[in-house]
Amino acid sequence: MTPKQTPPIALPEVDDHPVLDIAQLTVSYGHRQVLKQLDLRIEAGAIYGLLGPNGAGKTTLIRTICGRIVPTSGSVSIEGLSNRKKSTLRRIGLVPQEIGLYSHLTVRENLQAFGRLSGMSAAETRDAVKWAEDVTRLSERHGERLDILSGGWKRRVNIAAAILHRPALLILDEPTVGVDVDARNELHEVIRDLTHSGMAVLIATHDLDQAETICSSVGFLIDGTIGPAGPPQALIDAEFAGGTVVIIELRRSLTALQRSALLKAGFSASNGEMTWSIFGDVGDAVSTALSAQLDRLGISAREIRHRKPGLDTLFLQLTRKPAPEPTS
Amino acid sequence: MILAMLKVMALSLIRDRGALAMAFLLPPTIFVIFAAIFSGTSGDELRLQVAYGSEITSDTASRFETAIRNEPSLRVLADSLASEQAVRTAVAQGEADVGLVLRGDLALSGDVSPVLVIVDPGKLMGGAIVSGQVQRVLSGSLADIGVARMAPSIESLVGGFTPQQSAQLAAAIDQMAAEPAAETESGAVVASETLQGRSGSGATVTYYAGAVAILFLLFSAMQGAATLIEERNSGIVDRLAVGPAGTDVVVIGKFLFLTLQGTLQVALIFVVAAFAYQVDVVGVLPVWLLITVLSASAAAGLGLAVASACRTKQQAQTVSTFAVLVFSAIGGSMVPRFMMPPWLQDIGWYTPNAWAIEAYQGVLWRDETLTNLTASFLPLAGLGVLGVLVAVLVSRWRLRL
Repeated sequence: MTPKQTPPIALPEVDDHPVLDIAQLTVSYGHRQVLKQLDLRIEAGAIYGLLGPNGAGKTTLIRTICGRIVPTSGSVSIEGLSNRKKSTLRRIGLVPQEIGLYSHLTVRENLQAFGRLSGMSAAETRDAVKWAEDVTRLSERHGERLDILSGGWKRRVNIAAAILHRPALLILDEPTVGVDVDARNELHEVIRDLTHSGMAVLIATHDLDQAETICSSVGFLIDGTIGPAGPPQALIDAEFAGGTVVIIELRRSLTALQRSALLKAGFSASNGEMTWSIFGDVGDAVSTALSAQLDRLGISAREIRHRKPGLDTLFLQLTRKPAPEPTS
Repeated sequence: MILAMLKVMALSLIRDRGALAMAFLLPPTIFVIFAAIFSGTSGDELRLQVAYGSEITSDTASRFETAIRNEPSLRVLADSLASEQAVRTAVAQGEADVGLVLRGDLALSGDVSPVLVIVDPGKLMGGAIVSGQVQRVLSGSLADIGVARMAPSIESLVGGFTPQQSAQLAAAIDQMAAEPAAETESGAVVASETLQGRSGSGATVTYYAGAVAILFLLFSAMQGAATLIEERNSGIVDRLAVGPAGTDVVVIGKFLFLTLQGTLQVALIFVVAAFAYQVDVVGVLPVWLLITVLSASAAAGLGLAVASACRTKQQAQTVSTFAVLVFSAIGGSMVPRFMMPPWLQDIGWYTPNAWAIEAYQGVLWRDETLTNLTASFLPLAGLGVLGVLVAVLVSRWRLRL
């Protein structure tokens, strides 16, 4: 009697596709390349912050992921499937920067409408609306009309309407524009909760503090390609280990000569050129010397302070333009 | 999915009181105003205000003034003015629509007309009407004066009357003066007859029901279609673009809603027309419904095509106001096309207004068959299909921008 052969143990295949996989993506408008051989991967459960100055190509990238722009070359895959297929696009939920909802309808009516418009049956929509209301903490206000809700609540509904079909990838375009700090923190909680179920989130934002707070990974989109990318703190540490940022708050605007001098010294401007910052290993003695130098240049500083570098420092460093030659 | 879009549009309309009033209250109101104005001008309710003056004093002049004052279609100012200049001033100052001056003996023939009608240049039609009424009075209640004026001409033509003939003529004229002829048309050279259409009301009311209907269909469709731009700018279209609905569902859903809304809107106008002016819609309900749906779909298609082509709501508002007003002016919604010069009447056929009005007139007034009405149906149906097709394609193209 031969011994009974044990069948080999069959393990289920591991699906190792990232939720979003962009490879060598190039998008051109005529002769102008807006995106240049861009690579990007977002895994399930991750929150990726897409950062970059205006005109860097964020909107073009989002539209290309959503299938609205046909790339010149390269590919975009959602869960391993090309986004050129209509069915693949259904795995995406888009939260537009504007409140993309019907203002005369209540919260629930909006969600029901978008549920049906996303192809769900009435029964599926009913369940999906309940789930979306719960996860975005909208249940208590489901009967209220959109036009009477505050900005923060509208932003929640904006997100709820995009997750009804439980997308694998949720794209949020500036999700917290125009909301106060409390509302913003609550929205962050909502976004974090969504990733617990495995949803991948891509946030395009100018709010670097937001990116540092909730993103597991960020990437700087500069001149059509992703520059430095990785977890926010790791990027900051790699670039500014042990350093300090010196911030000068001005009393009044600079002359062209003063402006040129600061730019040449390596300062970056923000806040309408009323705030200037520089990274360096700066001690108190250097600070005192800086103050004296500013006096010599006739620059009146309201405050000079130090702080740890953050994503904003990195952003300013990456996007800093060379100082122009002064005209006089 | 299309039903969801219909529901969204319906709820948005129901909760917007301004839009609701514009869609369903304003059209019947404007129709009632138009019908009241134009049914009056085309019927015997038009009573012109006349300033009367006489520069002569005679028995004939008194009889003429009395006859004119008794004419029911004229409202003669109470005071009789003493000179031609006084009558001119009364007309120029707007105290009367038309002036009437008796400046010579009616019974005597001469080079100068004894009756002068003074017309305000803005009311030329009033002059023609009063002239006609004066002729009617002269051939009716003052027939003896007419014969007396003609006698010298006839006498010269026949080479003179004998004394006996002259005496007989004078006796006949006296008798006519003593017993004025009844105001009948027997023996008159011209008799007129107003045709009766199939509808119980006047043709003008039927005309303006159709004219106002297509005017408001265009306005409402343009306004409703502009929500397409709002949805594009607010990100709703971006959101839907990644789903199975896409922009096609948005456009087609809006097209169906606007067609439905337009049908209800026109129904309200014709309900008022039926109750207030006895326009018989019920007897031709299926054909009326077909015309209404086709007209509403033409307006909806046009509105969506404009909305999809415009980048901003302001741009759409400018284009649509321009288009609706021009279409309505040359298509006959404001003034009947028969009053326009022939070249403008020809251009009018390029507007949905002309075809819709023609179709409504055809079924409600001329009692035309479905086959005869097909000529009007095709342009309306074509415009609806073409408009929605343009809107679908342009909306798809915009997504790629």
